[in-house]
Amino acid sequence: MLTREDLAKYPFVRKASSFIEGYGLTLKDLATPEYSGIVKRAIERVRDSIEGKKIVTDWKDPETEILAYPLALAFLYGLKAGWVVRRFANAEQKRCDELLRMEKDQKLVEIAKDGFGWDLEQVEINLEGKRFNFSLGVKEYLEVAPQFHSAEWKLVNRHLLRGIVLLKHNEVARLISESVKNKVVKRAAEEEVRKFQIPEAFGPYVEEVMKLVERRRPLYDDEAPIELVEEAKPPCIIAIINDLAAGKSLSHMARFTITTFMINVGENVDNVLKLFSNVVDFDEGKARYQVEHIAGKIGSKTKYAPPKCDVLKSFGLCVGADALCERVKHPLLYYKIRAREIARGVAKAKGGRKGA
Amino acid sequence: MHSIVVEEFRSYYSRLAPRDLEVRDLGRRELAFLQFGEQMMIRHMQFADEVSLRDHLVHKTPAHLYYSSAYYKEPQAPDMNKKGWTGADLVFDVDADHIPTTCKADHDKWKCLDCGTEGAGFPPESCTSCGKKRIETTTWVCEKCLDAAKNEVLKLLDEYLIPDFGLSLNDIEICFSGHRGYHLHILTENLKVLTSDGRREVADYVRGIGLDPKHHGFAALKNGPLIGPDIRDGGWRGRIAKSIYTYMSRCSTEELRTVTGSESVADMLCRNRDKILKGITLSPPSWVGLKGVELGRISRIAKASVKDVLCNIDERVTIDIKRLIRYPNSLHGKSGLKASRITYNDLERFDPLRDAVAFRDGEIKVYVREAPRVRIGNHEVGPLKGAEVVVPKALGLYLICKGAAEPRA
Repeated sequence: MLTREDLAKYPFVRKASSFIEGYGLTLKDLATPEYSGIVKRAIERVRDSIEGKKIVTDWKDPETEILAYPLALAFLYGLKAGWVVRRFANAEQKRCDELLRMEKDQKLVEIAKDGFGWDLEQVEINLEGKRFNFSLGVKEYLEVAPQFHSAEWKLVNRHLLRGIVLLKHNEVARLISESVKNKVVKRAAEEEVRKFQIPEAFGPYVEEVMKLVERRRPLYDDEAPIELVEEAKPPCIIAIINDLAAGKSLSHMARFTITTFMINVGENVDNVLKLFSNVVDFDEGKARYQVEHIAGKIGSKTKYAPPKCDVLKSFGLCVGADALCERVKHPLLYYKIRAREIARGVAKAKGGRKGA
Repeated sequence: MHSIVVEEFRSYYSRLAPRDLEVRDLGRRELAFLQFGEQMMIRHMQFADEVSLRDHLVHKTPAHLYYSSAYYKEPQAPDMNKKGWTGADLVFDVDADHIPTTCKADHDKWKCLDCGTEGAGFPPESCTSCGKKRIETTTWVCEKCLDAAKNEVLKLLDEYLIPDFGLSLNDIEICFSGHRGYHLHILTENLKVLTSDGRREVADYVRGIGLDPKHHGFAALKNGPLIGPDIRDGGWRGRIAKSIYTYMSRCSTEELRTVTGSESVADMLCRNRDKILKGITLSPPSWVGLKGVELGRISRIAKASVKDVLCNIDERVTIDIKRLIRYPNSLHGKSGLKASRITYNDLERFDPLRDAVAFRDGEIKVYVREAPRVRIGNHEVGPLKGAEVVVPKALGLYLICKGAAEPRA
């Protein structure tokens, strides 16, 4: 059974939503002085996540805690800043993970079921001294686990039998908390949520948070444009460029990677095409069409991003990580960090690349 | 393309019963056509039922017909973002081209576009004479390549999809691709919504990418024995144990020296070979024969051992959630063979060069520019160069579709 305290700790579960619905409150009602405690708590959750403070669950007043969560999400989405949503989601992941680790096995089963519809089952299996307490369907496992980057989370390193993956207590906590994070981030993209505006009545409460967002934006908003820095390219990209220069006929994935990468770091279509001019089956007209398509200039107008490191590894395009590679999951992030280091003149001083 | 090919394709489609064109949820799939002699695909087509599709195929007979692995709310929307993706079959593509077989030396050729050097078999990374990388290839398939592809499919099904992923044969469609390989379509309902990242994990699982044997039971307990997986275990644990057994029973000392990177370790393992093999089969297993060998070295032995049990699939197809794939029972424009559906029980006996033949009767005279030995059905020709021959229609059309021959009156 999920208690009221559980709902305060895990307000993402469906039972928490029904609890809130039981109050029959509208957003407008919450703006009245009677509920100022809830509004303050909601604001506090958003503010603390922006400031990177640890979010602590308030046990003593579960009602406020439960009611403040959806309101905090409303404020969060109303602020219209992707990085704020991500910081909040990360903070929620950490908060939930800590709490979930302390729960009993049976409780985790209930939370996974009510929160995400997972058929998590309790088992007792010992394999060479390791104890597994849970089993989860491979489909549910793959909803979340591919986001983790350590080898133990790769499906190939799991005990998979008849469509079931074995898990330990803390691993289940991690999967659930990561799903909480995903849910918060994914909702931001929904049509209804994108249209949502914070009602005027909350103005005085929200004003302070808005100022905070503006102050912190330069620190955390990584969607700010970047400039072309030749020396900041990651090893995988350099390898593809070298292959192109040698006239090697490349796989579709390699071509896609180099094109998307160059376009995303601000290179123009003509210069990207020049990279391909040595290739055996180079057809300028066709190549231009494809590059312009990827750049979002024609066709569906979607600008494509290069694949992340995991994908490059799967396709054999990762040429072995240098020291910075080990810290990043995406070639563009590598580039951004390296470019920033170069701008600050620290890349060389720090010794830059391992083995280079 | 020669009109005889178009006419034969058309006649094939007119004989086809609509139910032969059945695919799950046809109305929610995007269809795509490549017409004879064209380079641009006609995409974003939608057909409500098999009858209208069959009629279209008879009237506007294509060289190639594809359907999306994805299901859409609006398959005909030209903008991919407006199609409304609701899910996709999980697809595996096994292609003989990707499997190195010895027969490639008999029928495949490569040519360096820079210095003109030619060679037979699997093309090298760079030209063996000038070192440049602009290499053109001419490839054919034979029984050996197609058998290798079929064995990959059986391995994928019997060793991975059924036991590990728990998939049911009822949810798996097996198709010959019509040319060089096989497609497996997994129709399991709850897997349809797998993300591309999730599918990548599935592909990596069957290809053994990122496999770390240390996560499969090997551990050196303090002052205790070395423990390891049991051959009776399922999943990768059992697979690793079985593979090490097989490998240790046949590998040479030389090979082990390279794999372990140590002469003394390799020599010790070879001296202990019988003890190691016996230990692995015990229940519970005893890995004591490997005691003292570092876990890193054991990992390397395990990785060398599993090479033969990895699946050689084209991972791009599995990862893609919007792939266009050859339509079952359509004809392949580069072979004239039928992309036949095969049941699991028939797979073992399936001979694509006989069972996927679409044209049964008649003969045709063709001029063959160059071709290796080729068999279609029970008829064989070649190797041929600059020769005029009268052959059964299916064989003649095969050579024409491959671009190696042209019809003669």
